[in-house]
Amino acid sequence: MKVLIIIPAYNEAQNIEKTVKDVTENTNYDYIIINDCSKDNTKEVCEKNNFNMLSLPINYGLTSGIQLGMKYAYKNNYDIAIQFDGDGQHQAKYLKKLVEKIENNSADIIIGSRFVEKKKPFSTRMIGSRLIAFIIKLTTGKTIKDPTSGMRAYNKRAIQEFIRNMSLTPEPDTLVYMMKKGLKIEEVQVEMKDREFGESYLKPLKSIQYMINMIFSIIFIRAITRKNK
Amino acid sequence: MSITLRVILIISSFIAFFLCVKKIKQSKLKVANSVTWMLGSIILILMSIFSDVVGWLSEKLGFVSPVNFVFLIMIAFLLIQTFIDNIHITELNEKIKELDHYIALKEHDEKK
Repeated sequence: MKVLIIIPAYNEAQNIEKTVKDVTENTNYDYIIINDCSKDNTKEVCEKNNFNMLSLPINYGLTSGIQLGMKYAYKNNYDIAIQFDGDGQHQAKYLKKLVEKIENNSADIIIGSRFVEKKKPFSTRMIGSRLIAFIIKLTTGKTIKDPTSGMRAYNKRAIQEFIRNMSLTPEPDTLVYMMKKGLKIEEVQVEMKDREFGESYLKPLKSIQYMINMIFSIIFIRAITRKNK
Repeated sequence: MSITLRVILIISSFIAFFLCVKKIKQSKLKVANSVTWMLGSIILILMSIFSDVVGWLSEKLGFVSPVNFVFLIMIAFLLIQTFIDNIHITELNEKIKELDHYIALKEHDEKK
């Protein structure tokens, strides 16, 4: 199966070389970097190393970046698209596990989860994760142990859903949407590192906003999604 | 309604109406987008001319004063207008995003 790894990157000049090296050394899948109009020299670093990159002229955030990756995957007829952070938190050695699961047809979407075998710690960040997991359980009846994980593999059917509905985000509310559409979601255990350089998308005030957005989106919008006929 | 309020409403409605017409002529405003504004100012003019009707209606609806009724209509009108604007902004946002993606994909194709 043709596999594409989508690496969204915003101001990741210090991390991107390492991330791509990790991907190319540990897997033999194709990758695409989505440079979301970085203010630092991410673009130059990628060009210098001749990385496969899509460079956006206007910054539009992570959602737009993933959507573009999905468009690219669809256009080039990829069977699997994997969302993979460019900040060095994700490790490429686990990607094989995700791809194998999809190849065995066990599910449509595989989440690289931190808490399949391990227990969830009681940190402030994880309170949000628990709350989202609870709301997902409430609306779909399914248990997702790590809904906020940014490492997800989508099969062709899921990619098509992304193309069909341009309001889908690479966030937990999309998982609810996909489940309501009848797609199966499974999790595999992975480990993640803390980020080394640069700033994350999530800052304190931003994460409160994020939580409110997610809760509203899941309960009032995604939970009433209808299946395709 | 007091005479002063009626005069103010009539004058400001006329100004709003002619501003709309002027901006359309300068093609700074589309006809489709300005219909609501023109309609709003016409309603306002009618309300200030036929203030007896407004008074009667507001009493039937249980308003303390006709002015409150006029304000309520204006607020409702503004809310609708902002909602329509909000939709337009989102539409524009999506269009720019599509362009953004298109440029990125095209640039990538040309490099090959």
